[in-house]
Amino acid sequence: MSDGRAATCFEAPRPLTAPDTILGEGRDARDLRWSRMMAAAQAGDARAYEALLRECLPLLRTICRARLRDATDAEDAVQDTLLTIHRARDSYNPTRPFRPWLVAIAERRALDRIRARSRRARREMPEDAAGEIASDAPGVETELDAHRAAAKLRRAIEALPMSQRTALGLTKMQDLSLAEASRVSGMTAGALKVATHRALHALRRRFGPEE
Amino acid sequence: MSMRNEDLIRQLAADLRPVKPARNPIAATTAWLAFVAVVIALAVLVFGLREDLAARLAGGFDLLQIAGALATGLLAAVAAFQLALPERSGRWALLPIPAAVAWLATMGGGCLEELARLGPEALRIGLSLPCLAFIAGLGVPLTVAMLWLARHAAWLRAGPVAALGGLSAAALASVGLSFVHDMDAAFMVLVWHGMSVLIVAGLASLFGPRLMRCGLAAP
Repeated sequence: MSDGRAATCFEAPRPLTAPDTILGEGRDARDLRWSRMMAAAQAGDARAYEALLRECLPLLRTICRARLRDATDAEDAVQDTLLTIHRARDSYNPTRPFRPWLVAIAERRALDRIRARSRRARREMPEDAAGEIASDAPGVETELDAHRAAAKLRRAIEALPMSQRTALGLTKMQDLSLAEASRVSGMTAGALKVATHRALHALRRRFGPEE
Repeated sequence: MSMRNEDLIRQLAADLRPVKPARNPIAATTAWLAFVAVVIALAVLVFGLREDLAARLAGGFDLLQIAGALATGLLAAVAAFQLALPERSGRWALLPIPAAVAWLATMGGGCLEELARLGPEALRIGLSLPCLAFIAGLGVPLTVAMLWLARHAAWLRAGPVAALGGLSAAALASVGLSFVHDMDAAFMVLVWHGMSVLIVAGLASLFGPRLMRCGLAAP
């Protein structure tokens, strides 16, 4: 059953065409330009780096959306990819084409997401089934309350410091293992535990034990 | 572009520090082999060449055994440096397998040949802690050096790269051991060299990724 649900997250990769023709620039010319921008970024040029990441974003989105049906998962995979590009930027050799390097990283992170999602689905399935049997369908009022609470929680999470938000997002919301979260974020397992603990503590203080 | 991506890209750019780009795998393998050659030469200087080396090499088994270890060490290093680049195919990991199988077959063949010649006496196993200590003592620092050379794999494929790096380091340490340590029986070579290589490669795959991420990789 869970395998069936996991299978729905995966689609056969579609040809990546859309971002290849930005402003009529040929793929070779664009790859060469990206390669130069990445070489400049490796030398410490932050402006070239920021411009490069912005330009690459549509291609990263196309790759992640081709593999993950869920838009949130795809967007999370894009962010994981950006973090990995940053962490592993020394693994790019400027004498080689840039695009295969970029695509390989994006595909790996999308695959990690698919794995994390199918793991989460396996864990959540029994609880969902039990919930459906035990309760009636929720009323409009209950659903509205749930939406309000979710929005409040989302705002509180957005107000957390970056490291705590990253740790909470990866370990609790995206359900990655400590090793996976460490690989994605670049934080050590210890730092992730501390940041997650602090984030949860801050949220508990904000909402109180009853929430 | 969503605000989250916008934020993230800005923060990543603000966090940017210069890094040294990864070397070409062939250049990295050459640097690695040069380093290993220096370390083994130093070990030979300290421990001295085994006296019967020329005779043993002429005998066949030792020459094949050393050639097998050397080929395994060399191809495992090439595979590790290829895999350390994200865009290279995962199939590079298979590169050292034929050499490793040939090495194992050479040692196994030597055992069978001695078994036929000497009977069960050939399978008597003695304790050879110096052998284990030499390969581990040389293999572990060499593995750390290899992990440093392949440190750009820390965030992608760290496990396979560390395991292949450990295999290369241990196989080349085994070559070094063959130059300094007297070990006549093929079965002893199989057990002690084989076990030491497995231990070093296992330790590398277990602790290598963490080491690469915590200590060796540039942020």
